Amino acid sequence: MLRQRLRWQSRQFCQNRNMKVTDFTVKINKKNVFSQIDCYEDSPVYDEVDREYHEIIEQIYEKIDARALLEFGDISDYDVSEYGDGITEALFCIVTVGGKISEWITGLFEQGEYVKAMLADAAVDDYLFQMENQLKEKIIQMCRQAKRGVIRRLEAPQDIDMSVQKKALEVTNAEQEIGLTVKESYMYSPVKTVCQVFLLDDKAEEYRIEHDCSKCPNVQCKMRNIPGIPIEVVSSQGARTVMNKTGQSLMETFRKEGIFVDAVCGGNGICGKCKVQMLEGNLIPSKSDRIFFHEIELEKGYRLACTAYPERPCKIALEIRDEEAAFDILSEYEGMKTEEGGQPKENETSRWGIAVDIGTTTIVMQLVDIENKLVMDTCSVINHQRDYGADVISRIKASNFGKKRELRESIRRDLKQGLASLPLNGRKIEQMVIAANTTMVHLLMGYSCMTLGVLPFQPVNIKEIHTDYAALFSESSYEFPIVILPGISTFVGGDIVSGLYACDFDRRDEVSILIDLGTNGEMAIGNKERILTASAAAGPAFEGGNIACGTGSIQGAICGVKIEDGEVLIQTIGSAPPTGICGTGVIDSVYELLKNEVVDETGRMQEEYSETGFRLAKRSDEAEIVVNQKDVREIQLAKSAVRAGVETLIAEYGIDYENISRIYIAGGFGYKLNIAKAIGIGLLPQNFSGEIIAIGNSSLKGAVKYLMEDKKERMQEIVSRATEVNLSGSKDFQRFYVDYMWFESSGLSK
Amino acid sequence: MSIIQEMSEFLQKGRAKNVKVLVQQALDEGIDPKEILNEGLLSGMMIVGTKFKNNEVFVPEVLVAARAMNAGLTVLEPRLVEVGNEPVGKAVIGTVQGDLHDIGKNLVVMMLKGAGFEIHDLGVDVEADAFIEKAEEVGADVICMSALLTTTMPNMQTCIDRLKEKNLRDKYIVMVGGAPVNENFANQIGADYYTPDAATAAEVAKQAVLSK
Repeated sequence: MLRQRLRWQSRQFCQNRNMKVTDFTVKINKKNVFSQIDCYEDSPVYDEVDREYHEIIEQIYEKIDARALLEFGDISDYDVSEYGDGITEALFCIVTVGGKISEWITGLFEQGEYVKAMLADAAVDDYLFQMENQLKEKIIQMCRQAKRGVIRRLEAPQDIDMSVQKKALEVTNAEQEIGLTVKESYMYSPVKTVCQVFLLDDKAEEYRIEHDCSKCPNVQCKMRNIPGIPIEVVSSQGARTVMNKTGQSLMETFRKEGIFVDAVCGGNGICGKCKVQMLEGNLIPSKSDRIFFHEIELEKGYRLACTAYPERPCKIALEIRDEEAAFDILSEYEGMKTEEGGQPKENETSRWGIAVDIGTTTIVMQLVDIENKLVMDTCSVINHQRDYGADVISRIKASNFGKKRELRESIRRDLKQGLASLPLNGRKIEQMVIAANTTMVHLLMGYSCMTLGVLPFQPVNIKEIHTDYAALFSESSYEFPIVILPGISTFVGGDIVSGLYACDFDRRDEVSILIDLGTNGEMAIGNKERILTASAAAGPAFEGGNIACGTGSIQGAICGVKIEDGEVLIQTIGSAPPTGICGTGVIDSVYELLKNEVVDETGRMQEEYSETGFRLAKRSDEAEIVVNQKDVREIQLAKSAVRAGVETLIAEYGIDYENISRIYIAGGFGYKLNIAKAIGIGLLPQNFSGEIIAIGNSSLKGAVKYLMEDKKERMQEIVSRATEVNLSGSKDFQRFYVDYMWFESSGLSK
Repeated sequence: MSIIQEMSEFLQKGRAKNVKVLVQQALDEGIDPKEILNEGLLSGMMIVGTKFKNNEVFVPEVLVAARAMNAGLTVLEPRLVEVGNEPVGKAVIGTVQGDLHDIGKNLVVMMLKGAGFEIHDLGVDVEADAFIEKAEEVGADVICMSALLTTTMPNMQTCIDRLKEKNLRDKYIVMVGGAPVNENFANQIGADYYTPDAATAAEVAKQAVLSK
């Protein structure tokens, strides 16, 4: 202690260096200010906020009185031993924008000028932040002259007691110099003032003067910037380490790092799909974890990635295997291969085009020989926008939350990846045709999705779009024109128009029905005279979503179920060990349960199963795969929504089943659907005398056909003949919805 | 569309000038000022609040709507005084001692106003006793405390303890909020309500006061 004091006295030159800085040149960063109040360019009130900003910005500069004081002083009354031994000196720094600006902001708020007040507040914070940055150089200069290094920057209250703010005021003589006062709570007046204490050492040549975000208690700060905690992620592809920032969930980190995790609900702790397992480390289970996992599972380390906020390094296994490989993408195109079968061959007359279907889950692309009407090659890629949620609603939400650019980048990347895997070399592409639902088109074009999600659900543009590669991708790897097919409404998009075209709705006298089974069950009825369309919110049940043991169409998903003599027989995708139940498996199960009277016609499960669910199989990790009461209810809701939609359209159209010639079932899921069982649960009508045709990806088929046909105006004709029926406003729909909620027992005998 | 409905629509879109004009017009037509307040202004603000809670709109939209509401109120207030309109309740609000973060608190102020409360905003760095003194002075129903730092959260407890010491705890509904605060913490310190966002805060405060 004595030695230290002697050292201190021998270094008198560290004192009385009082420095006052007033010459700041700050330009407030508008983008930072706007992002502080969550205002992005696609906000409907952006222009309004922007105008207000320009109205006040000059006044902000005028009212800011920027000053900083720097002075060396003694810090030995504080215990700073955790940062090093024998630290006695510090550089005290006070930065303020003065009191006038704060008073003005308070006044604005009291007058109800909320926009201006919030903007000004955020602008001043940005100003202060920049002042701190500009001081760095001066601080280093001062320390260098005094032959001191900086060990650490401290801020109260997280690093040091609040009373240091009073100490700093005294050391820098701030009361006399700039009229700063300190209150009982050690807070400054004026309030927009910050204090920093730099611990010094005469040995160090370093200047560690940066703010340490990792210690800062303001975890939601928009400027938070920390390297994060290392998390080792183990998957079938090996292990890698990612950095997880404090206050950021594992799910968010995974997304940033391009690690795919299923998130039907978009990371809100609702769907329970983003299951991971902690192999090493400790993580207190969240509320959602406790809902989704049993005690045993929690002990095994099961957690939801979206509610996991690790604070210490840990090792995590991605339970869901790499879906890129496991996804069984249904893209078989059986319609237009060569007549005689076998591999199609090109010849000198070949002309090339690319057909694309952008699905919410999957993107399928085909290289088409336009001249010879052949599909040469097909490739499928996962739509990586899935990372932002499984359905269009969560994508719209993500886009509105400032992720618009990321979503656009994601789809561009996926499309480019698809192009790269098609054999394009040396082939001149004449055209690319894209069919997609309205939301996918908006995200691809970079349109704002603000109006898609709220009444009256207006799209920005659903007309046929003619553009080219350079314009759509903002680069020039390829050069060809691109057509994006037109849609009918926000809910009935270009994918359905393309499907109608593929089924020749506009050519036929007989009336047909098209049903696209997906999260949004879109449907249409009509002929060459008139077409009615609608969409019913079926929910993700048909795709295995919202189902307790539900899963996508991945390896090991149960896709077929049969109960014979009390024995359960299952069929899985790829004949792999069972992992969960996919959409067709759920329909099969419900059908079998009805047939075996485990579920009655109101959808209620026999009491003995109502708690535990009906067991289908056991997974390799001993977990049981069951169908429970809630799953049956989900299917009831989904099938009655679709069926009621169809019935409403038929009623609106003024026709009956006898005069309908065909029902087309589209969608990747529809392709594998067991039609008899779909009839059995009442999803499709029984006693329908016409044809029921599973046509697979009708959207892609339409795009291929468009490439091959000369009459390009047919799409537009379909759109002009189609009218959308708003089901949510239809009394018929409400009635049908309730009617078809139950299971028709007579359908089971078929 | 009735003038009241139109007013509500404009408010939701944040069109301050239109709201102001319509309030004046409604008054000229002899519509009850209370109806203008409740059906034209406050109901519109509640809709915005609900949308905000559901992530359908964001902070900027709330700001412009609140500003429009305020514009309407400036025209309406003299007439409300004349007819002796009583606020839903009175609330004292502030960011606790040692904390200067006020964006969240300010949003709550706006939403409470939008729910028909008379607000006494004490600003930031508010001492425990200052909340109580103000509440006693104005005859408040609700005390709302905000904290954004884990280090200042305990000051909420201080205020509640002081209320107990003064035998005033049961007199007020105490609500807490802020990023690090949660339901558990609220229960632990003996607060009446924790709400995760500004819109819910206003809803809960209103219900609590009405069922008091």
